[in-house]
Amino acid sequence: MSLHSQNLLDRTRRHFFRDCGVGVGRIALASLLADSLPTAVRADVKPLAPVKPHFEPKAKSVIYLFMAGAPSQLDLFDEKPKLTELDGQPTPPSLMEGKRFAFMERMSAAKLFGSPWAFRSYGHSGTRVSDLLPHIASVIDEIAVIKSLRTENFNHAPAKIFAHTGSVIAGRPSLGAWLTYGLGSEANDLPGFVVLQSGPRGPRNGPVIWGSGFLPSTYQATPFMPGPEPIFNLASRPGVTHERQGRTLRAIRELNEMRLDKTGDREIATRIASYEMAYRMQTGGAELMDLADESDGTLEMYGAKPGEASFANNCLLARRLVERGVRCVQLYHTEWDHHQNLVKGHEKSAGEIDRPAAALIRDLKQRGLLDQTLVVWSGEFGRTPMAEGGLATIGRNHHIDAYTGWMAGGGVKGGQTIGATDELGFHIVEDEVHVHDLHATILHLMGLDHEKLTFRFQGREFRLTDVAGRVVEKVVA
Amino acid sequence: MKPLPILLLGWAGALYAVDFDRDVLPLLAAECLGCHNEELQTAGLVLDSRETMLKGGGRGAAIVPGEPDASLLLRAVRHDGELKMPPDGKLAEAEIQLLSDWIRDGATWGSGIAQPRGRHWSFASPERPEGPTVSDPGWVRTPVDEFILARLDREGIQPSPEAAKYTLIRRAYLDVIGLPPTPEQVGAFVKDDRPEAWSEVVERLLASRHFGERWGRRWLDQARYADSDGGSRDEPRHIWRYRDWVIDSLNRDQPFDQFVVEQVAGDLLDKPRTDQIIATGFNRNTLLQIEAGTDREQYRVEIVYDRVDTMGTVFLGLSVGCARCHDHKFDPISQEEHFGLFAFFNNTDDWDDSRPRFRQRSINNLHAVHAPLLEFGSPDEIARRDAIRAQIEALEDELAAYRKSAKPARDDPGLVERQHLIDRLVRAMPRIDSTMVMRELDEPRDTFVHLSGNFLNPGERVEPGVLAALHPFEGRENPNRLDLARWLVDRANPLTARVAVNRIWQEYFGLGIVETENDFGTQGSPPTHPELLDWLAVEFMERGWSRKAIHRLILNSAVYRQSSRVRAEIEERDPRNRLLARQNRLRLDAEIVRDVGLSVSGLLTPTIGGPGVYPPQPEKAMLASQIKKTWEPSEGEGRYRRGMYTFFWRVTPHPALMVFDRPDSTMACTRRTRSNTPLQALTLLNDTAFHEFYQAFAGRLLEVPEKDRIERAFELAVARQPDTREAAVVERLLANERDALHTKPAEAKLLAADGAKHPIEFAVWTSVARTLMNTDEFITRE
Repeated sequence: MSLHSQNLLDRTRRHFFRDCGVGVGRIALASLLADSLPTAVRADVKPLAPVKPHFEPKAKSVIYLFMAGAPSQLDLFDEKPKLTELDGQPTPPSLMEGKRFAFMERMSAAKLFGSPWAFRSYGHSGTRVSDLLPHIASVIDEIAVIKSLRTENFNHAPAKIFAHTGSVIAGRPSLGAWLTYGLGSEANDLPGFVVLQSGPRGPRNGPVIWGSGFLPSTYQATPFMPGPEPIFNLASRPGVTHERQGRTLRAIRELNEMRLDKTGDREIATRIASYEMAYRMQTGGAELMDLADESDGTLEMYGAKPGEASFANNCLLARRLVERGVRCVQLYHTEWDHHQNLVKGHEKSAGEIDRPAAALIRDLKQRGLLDQTLVVWSGEFGRTPMAEGGLATIGRNHHIDAYTGWMAGGGVKGGQTIGATDELGFHIVEDEVHVHDLHATILHLMGLDHEKLTFRFQGREFRLTDVAGRVVEKVVA
Repeated sequence: MKPLPILLLGWAGALYAVDFDRDVLPLLAAECLGCHNEELQTAGLVLDSRETMLKGGGRGAAIVPGEPDASLLLRAVRHDGELKMPPDGKLAEAEIQLLSDWIRDGATWGSGIAQPRGRHWSFASPERPEGPTVSDPGWVRTPVDEFILARLDREGIQPSPEAAKYTLIRRAYLDVIGLPPTPEQVGAFVKDDRPEAWSEVVERLLASRHFGERWGRRWLDQARYADSDGGSRDEPRHIWRYRDWVIDSLNRDQPFDQFVVEQVAGDLLDKPRTDQIIATGFNRNTLLQIEAGTDREQYRVEIVYDRVDTMGTVFLGLSVGCARCHDHKFDPISQEEHFGLFAFFNNTDDWDDSRPRFRQRSINNLHAVHAPLLEFGSPDEIARRDAIRAQIEALEDELAAYRKSAKPARDDPGLVERQHLIDRLVRAMPRIDSTMVMRELDEPRDTFVHLSGNFLNPGERVEPGVLAALHPFEGRENPNRLDLARWLVDRANPLTARVAVNRIWQEYFGLGIVETENDFGTQGSPPTHPELLDWLAVEFMERGWSRKAIHRLILNSAVYRQSSRVRAEIEERDPRNRLLARQNRLRLDAEIVRDVGLSVSGLLTPTIGGPGVYPPQPEKAMLASQIKKTWEPSEGEGRYRRGMYTFFWRVTPHPALMVFDRPDSTMACTRRTRSNTPLQALTLLNDTAFHEFYQAFAGRLLEVPEKDRIERAFELAVARQPDTREAAVVERLLANERDALHTKPAEAKLLAADGAKHPIEFAVWTSVARTLMNTDEFITRE
């Protein structure tokens, strides 16, 4: 462990007490002198108390809608009439030279594949969106579409790790971990970084992509599961009624306070605060998951059904989480990896995410939360202009040289398109936005300088953006 | 022409103005920063930046820019007054003049980093220092105490009194074997007034087979040991025999140099024994990406990088990996040297383009991915297995071809028949235990520098080689991993022994003598007790690299036996207790939290080693896996094994372990964090596994007479008796729970163990058990 991480642990501990209205020194002193712990260490303690950003932030929370498996930019946002025109033609060899692909052997004879979907203009901006996403199209003026994203690895697992941690190798802290490390959280009875999953399976690599790496584990995401018990062991066991839990916790607290007197170890005060927070989470977590207090209109807008594990429910939960001050909410929706049967597959996946994602933006806006909430949408890469498989099962391969994502809300200038690709959608021709740049921009909007948000580990200062990254100024309103 | 004027300017500059980076900083580093650094803050003073100098220490600002004569720093180095610095001798006049000129010129700070210069301390071989003289020789129990006390003497701080005997014995049990003492063991020790009582406890614990478990687990953190590959599918692997080898090595006190050699290169020893080959599993604990379409060479290269990084971090305490893309910025490690180390590990037989692709069929070919394997079957068995396996694979290929060409219906006889045959063969195939090991290729690979760390961008070819900044390499021509391993444990290696003893030390006190236990380079923190570190390192080597010898020195010491009570009077001067004027309270490791629960409840199955087991975990814990996996909780003994035997899926690790900071096994972990979070509270309060402990603990309590129960509960849980206030808390809980449950007996049935004779009493004591097992003290060694 580095000196830094120790300081950090100490710091998180200090944060624990900042909101008690009593400094650590006073608590320690009091505990040595008095019979019991000051009653101040009871309520209102936050394990991740807010930290001052580097500069005035544009947004307070991030909701990242991650499309696991990689959606096809060419069938959603990046319209290519030329590709449609050349549909079924062999791929120009110049495109393939010196390129590495997954399943290289299959790609040599690939033919071009024009999008089967029509595109239309939407909003004041006139942004073109395919017929797969009519709802997102309806809020397009809130959105900055980035058609020039680029990443570094063409396999799902490493590309996902890269998209989240800025490294293709597992074990670095994720974006959300960096954010909670840099900013703490405003949430009082919930974790600062929450993951919500939907779709047929978990994303590849699972917790690694929302882990805290070498940062203290306090900063890793807590995956919320569908249903009334979003966190492992949140619910009391059968027979442990609310009163019983309260009685037991009181006895635990009293014994801990006595031990604190005996030993003077502040860690016990933190332990007491952890138990208080756990008790509040038991109520807060269950209350969060209970959608009964949402109006029918809201449920309808998202397409959410109480009790379901759907992207729609997760979008609604994301709003409820940022309302409660959670710093980072990461949604994962599987599955977009349509090497085959792209037509059916994309219709299904787009159908699952379109309406809820649009509803999220609309709902945040009507509640006045959109200004302070950054919404990001992307996969781990995009898909090739070339087809994979025969006509009956046609699909697209992985493509890392150009793909599309979007940002909306806090600090984002909506109703614009950033970057452009060549006429086949293969290469970027304007305003490349590398994953490191996207990360730098997200941190920037949250009030953090990506070059200053560092952590010392194994003799080196690490950052989310490694040795690269630049803020995409065009995004910023 | 150009160099000359620059040189002249430099000279001319030196005549008239002080160059901070060249002149002042090395002086500060050599003479002042040893004590007045961020870490030690002796006398509250830090001299590593202009700001801290201006802020000063207890006596006020150290410097007044522009006014040397008014600067405390100058007065101290001139010995002008009561304060005379440095304490071990006056500076040369020229040096004093230098500091004076610098302050006169405004005391501007340069770009240099304030730290000791010259040959970095850790790159020179340790020599055994003289034991210092101390104020109270009677306090000293083992030589380590002299160094600790001498340092405290310098600060005028008294060590803490010895901890209570019941605290001491629980501390030792938890530290050495990771299990708590029974009340009988506590009682016997407390009553035993003989002076040798303590050392007998120490010897008993060091001889316990559980010693290897407790200390082996920490080694496994460094080896990034896990039971799955951590890739997108997170496939399981067989490597638990390596884990058991580590336990065994510790238990037989295998000399540490052999321990290192066998792990790095056991396969290359002359006629290696089976256990020496199993040991090479150390380097097979790497992550693996077998996702279809992966560039295998890229991942093979990443695995080699990981082995180099791990070697640097684990054995040398150096961040060798920093030199992957460029020469190390701070430590003397060039990029070429990095790839010289890389070359040692580049010749192993790992999953690469020469092997078949991973196929997921009724019989998958993970064996082809995991090879080389050491198999534990008779040659006949192995031959029979291989034959059947080949048959199955051929049939599966046939089946795939048939499906493609004939597009058969589901009930097509050709299809069904072949499928049945495959099923039969799968059932008939002998299952043979195996473990992943290292094997050298017959034809070594060439190694090139990877420009910018990118394997697609090869630069100069490099030969295997070591770090020139350390001791010389007595290798042969064409050296291999075995030569590297021997270089690591060469008596002249300045780092290996220091790093190893420091990591033992940190487990006993929370932090090492060098706090940055993974960075002994120039960016690491300086040792708080440099002589002690060197003394221990030399002692370690001279005692034949015996780890138990070092444990004994620490366990029998006075510094270890101190009370951990926080002392308000030294809190301000040494807030992080780096001088060890007391012990530290330390939260138990994730696995040991479980082990203590198992022990106290009487459920523990103390079996050592074997395949991983599946204690209960929350139902949805496997949800994050990309492919569906199930977790069938073990029944019987497998349910109650120590935490370190829980099957560890890297992608979906057991939540109760992760909540308590078990490392995730992606990279070598040389020190665990000790977080303190609400999720820990939820786990202890509500988890099924812990609920079983509460019930069993309650069951144990009900066996003793009611009047003794509260006392017994504390004795079992925390190895001591309750005081009256603590007993009163429990009494009140008992009374309230009895009242509540008498009105709602149905709740009692839910809380008590099935078939309990008196459900209400059982439930009441379950609440008590739950309370005690949720106290901070229960999961802390004090």
